[in-house]
Amino acid sequence: MEVRTTRFGSIQVNADDLIRFPEGLPGFADCHDWVLLADGKNAALAWLQSVERPDVAFAVVSPRRFVAGYRLHVARQELEPLRFDDLRSARVLAIVGRNSRSITLNLKAPVILNLERGLGRQVIANGEWSVQHELQTSVATRKKIA
Amino acid sequence: MLVLSRQRDESIIIGDNIVVTIVDIRGDKVRLGIQAPTEIPVHRREVFEAIQRENMQASRVQPNELGELKQIPPAPGLPKTR
Repeated sequence: MEVRTTRFGSIQVNADDLIRFPEGLPGFADCHDWVLLADGKNAALAWLQSVERPDVAFAVVSPRRFVAGYRLHVARQELEPLRFDDLRSARVLAIVGRNSRSITLNLKAPVILNLERGLGRQVIANGEWSVQHELQTSVATRKKIA
Repeated sequence: MLVLSRQRDESIIIGDNIVVTIVDIRGDKVRLGIQAPTEIPVHRREVFEAIQRENMQASRVQPNELGELKQIPPAPGLPKTR
């Protein structure tokens, strides 16, 4: 099937690549079908693209690639709708944002995928994680701040 | 808005399957117990709204705004290839 996107043009995907978010995501309750696209230019990056809305896509990364010590703790009922047979197959992704200073990760509300069942959900993590965790870009910016 | 008075251990029921119980009252803090089907998300409102706002912003990020991501070093402690 063809997925239309404003960022990447039209993309061919298999119907079984679709990931269903039964509740949508906060702010996007009407977006239920998504597809995960690898970014051709940056191996650390992927895009969670809405099938229903060509203009809606989230850049996502594996949070532990960027944030040492990020361990996700969520209430059991947050994961129940994802119907995992084995929790080890859970994919945890952080949505990438931007504020005026830097690239940010939403560590408070990561996206969890069960790719075997084609299900996804944005959950709320326990603990004091930020929805805008700022990433330090390079040694140069770090020096500037110091 | 409907306003109801309740005491500790009393409940209200919403529809036929959502039960909200006053578990404890201490000073200006009330602890609520919420029983709802798993398909009904229950969140602290301010947390949910912060996530909603952040999602709205993040959904507009374009690929050309994320070039710097490549320059971000891996988290310390991550095993490295040579």
